[in-house]
Amino acid sequence: MLEGRRGAVVRVALLLAAIVVLPLVVRPVVASEIWIFSIAAMALNLIFGYTGMLSFGQATFFGLAAYTAGLLMIHWQAPLLVVLAAGTLVGALAAALIGYVCIQRVGVYFIMLTFGFNQMFYFIAYKWTSLTGGDDGLPGIPRPPLALGPLGIRLDTSVRYYVFVAAVFLLAFYAMKRVVDSPLGVIFQSIRENPGRAAAVGYDVKRYKWLAFTIAGGFTGLAGVLYSMMFGIVPLESISWIISGDIVFMVLIGGIGNLYGPLLGAAAFKWLSETVSIVWERWPLILGVALVLVVLFLRGGLVEAFARLREATAGRGAEA
Amino acid sequence: MNLALLGGAVLNGLVTGMLYALMGVGLSLILGLLNIPNFAHGVLYAIGAYVLVSASKAFGFLGGAVAALAVVAVLGALIEWGGVRRLYRVHPDYILLLTFGLSLILTEAIILVWGPVGITFQPPALLAGAVDLGVTTYPKYRLLVMVVTGALVLACYLFVTRTRWGAIIRAGIEDKDMAAALGINIRRVFTLTFAAGTGLAGLGGALMAPVRGLLPTMGLDILPFAFVVVVLGGLGSLPGAILAGLLVGVVQSLMTAIWAPGADASVFALMTLGIIARPQGLLGQR
Repeated sequence: MLEGRRGAVVRVALLLAAIVVLPLVVRPVVASEIWIFSIAAMALNLIFGYTGMLSFGQATFFGLAAYTAGLLMIHWQAPLLVVLAAGTLVGALAAALIGYVCIQRVGVYFIMLTFGFNQMFYFIAYKWTSLTGGDDGLPGIPRPPLALGPLGIRLDTSVRYYVFVAAVFLLAFYAMKRVVDSPLGVIFQSIRENPGRAAAVGYDVKRYKWLAFTIAGGFTGLAGVLYSMMFGIVPLESISWIISGDIVFMVLIGGIGNLYGPLLGAAAFKWLSETVSIVWERWPLILGVALVLVVLFLRGGLVEAFARLREATAGRGAEA
Repeated sequence: MNLALLGGAVLNGLVTGMLYALMGVGLSLILGLLNIPNFAHGVLYAIGAYVLVSASKAFGFLGGAVAALAVVAVLGALIEWGGVRRLYRVHPDYILLLTFGLSLILTEAIILVWGPVGITFQPPALLAGAVDLGVTTYPKYRLLVMVVTGALVLACYLFVTRTRWGAIIRAGIEDKDMAAALGINIRRVFTLTFAAGTGLAGLGGALMAPVRGLLPTMGLDILPFAFVVVVLGGLGSLPGAILAGLLVGVVQSLMTAIWAPGADASVFALMTLGIIARPQGLLGQR
């Protein structure tokens, strides 16, 4: 990674270029999915990569927000921005409630609690068919136009929706960057590095963990809302541990504790699942093998792979 | 609800509860000793069931169950030896992710070998049918499963608390470095405990095959409940895991009889209440 101001400018320029180029390389629908899951992966990165808490239940907030958005639009024809705000709020509120219980424990207990809560909401969504449609999913979700003052911008084609998703992603990315770069972000990292010392210098570790978890819940909720409008249906899967696992996988394969890692991870994951799952329906097998290999040999993810590659080529250049 | 229905529900709960206790004991030992929540525990339970179905064709039901125990225990030992062991010096989160990856691989392997469709499996002819217990009639096979898993759980408890080997395991849970310094080959204890814990899950899967049938995702369905049992029971506490297992099983079964849609969610509500009231678990020390 390049350092300093020049590096930051280069990275942002690359990100903007990626947003423009991506829908030309993959289908716009897949491109939208990549940025949606980038938001969710960014959120997990805040609590896992920066604060040191591995949550295995992010689909709880993703799914709750998706169902909330879907129901608001189906039953009350709620406008787009209201739905986005509502989903974000539901994600944050749910994370505040669930997080309060989960952060009482650390390490493996924390992980199992987040996983357990995820399953609880999954079973509720699965059994409460009159509300959620159960196994069949919640269909018939409209995609309301974006109303900016008197202007109503229709988002009916997948390209238009892509532009909207990319814009929301950029706003979310900027917000996340502000959080991470702020003094608050430094406190989060100090908790990751050494919770005991963070407490000793006067920070209320539990409160900051709770805050990080809640912020992440809000971001994940935002992603869930965007997902619900994507295919006009909220599948039961959106609240299942499968999505939770996918999000963990994206962060891990991209590189944890780096602002851009989760974006790389989400892109690699969605692109792979899109190409491989068409060829071979046993694609989770490849996913599992990839996960095992990353965990055993490349724990810094793609970001580390790039860094190693850069080092290797730089070393060769110096020799010549 | 009449008495027969209630009796049936409680018995069902005890059968499931004993299974949860068996899974919980294995998970709890692995968690206490190796400090990892074994995400592959569920899929190894499933593999036990599938091995029974294939092996019982050649060796009969009893042989099939033994094969399930042996195959899964060897698989567990291989997982510890080939993967988990390499990550002890790294953050425990990575071991969890490794077992998660293995869980995906093994679930797909089940689909490749035995197919994606569910299988039903009949209990041995000797144990078919039901017995009259006065209050209610109950399938013989389920009663046997309850007794056998109960005996296994008790045997585990006695093994860990009353034998020399158990003392070594407890020493490892208490302080790995000190145990190693006293000349105990702690690496071998890790491997064997992992093998034993997963082997019990495999045997549990085999025993439950005639009760619940087989599905490639059956392990993933049961895993969250096994986690709940461990969290609710308390870290490394075997009596805690047993108590929590029975509690979860009975609550789930009674809720199924009263209001089925809320049955699974009620288990997690129970866990939440437990964590708020006693963060260290029902019988946990820390």
